[in-house]
Amino acid sequence: MTASALVRGTAFFGCWLLLTHFGTGADLAADLLVGLASAAAATWVSLRLLPSAPGRVRYGALGRLLWRFLWQSIVAGIDVARRAFAPRLSLQPGYLVFPVRIPPGPGRALFGAFTSLVPGTLPVGSGPTAGGRAALVYHCLDLRQPVAAGLARDQALMIEAYGEDETDD
Amino acid sequence: MSLALSLFTIVCVSLGAVFFLAGTLGLLRFPDTLTRLHALTKADNLGLGLVVLGLLPQVDWPLGALKLIAVWLLALLAGATVGQVLGSAVRPPPVSGAGESTP
Repeated sequence: MTASALVRGTAFFGCWLLLTHFGTGADLAADLLVGLASAAAATWVSLRLLPSAPGRVRYGALGRLLWRFLWQSIVAGIDVARRAFAPRLSLQPGYLVFPVRIPPGPGRALFGAFTSLVPGTLPVGSGPTAGGRAALVYHCLDLRQPVAAGLARDQALMIEAYGEDETDD
Repeated sequence: MSLALSLFTIVCVSLGAVFFLAGTLGLLRFPDTLTRLHALTKADNLGLGLVVLGLLPQVDWPLGALKLIAVWLLALLAGATVGQVLGSAVRPPPVSGAGESTP
């Protein structure tokens, strides 16, 4: 707990230094005081909302996940731009209920944020599937695209990266 | 060398502007709130990414560059979060849950 508070606090303080361009102000001591207070507040909120959990991160899988994320967000932007510029709109919007294996909590929130940036999907809520399994409801720009297959790949990579167990809820 | 970097900046920032234009066009042309959200979140993220990439050679290293990247990441995070929240706010009553369905 103390260790993760220290790590997060340092990271937040680093962010603050970076974003405020520290050293350019008139009163360095006052700037520093505000920065330290902000970093402490951010750390407190972060530990409350996202308690540190024991778990190992597989960096290889995390790298692949980040690479896929970057690539997919480029594809997503081009896909949407192509549709927006097309003389005739080619859309077939609709909902897709995707059974999610990542347990509720920060992991699932991260998955939601991740998948809101991949092509053609936007998570709009959660709800059980017909079989009663946990699911996320996605709004899709074009149901003719293989959306569910892409989401399944994202999920598999994320589970591999964070080692989250399959749940039956 | 500086000419090449300037060209890189011009190309990237112009491309980024094209994606911002696409996002705005989608906002105007797409049929409903949710499809418009798709257009805004995706196209603008890529547009901002390209603008940031294009500006990287023009700022001081490493602090200016890190700051630009931090701005992009924060916008990405905000876009992903707000997109989901807005999406769940405008979603019509629960769908049947039988796999796929159209509104």
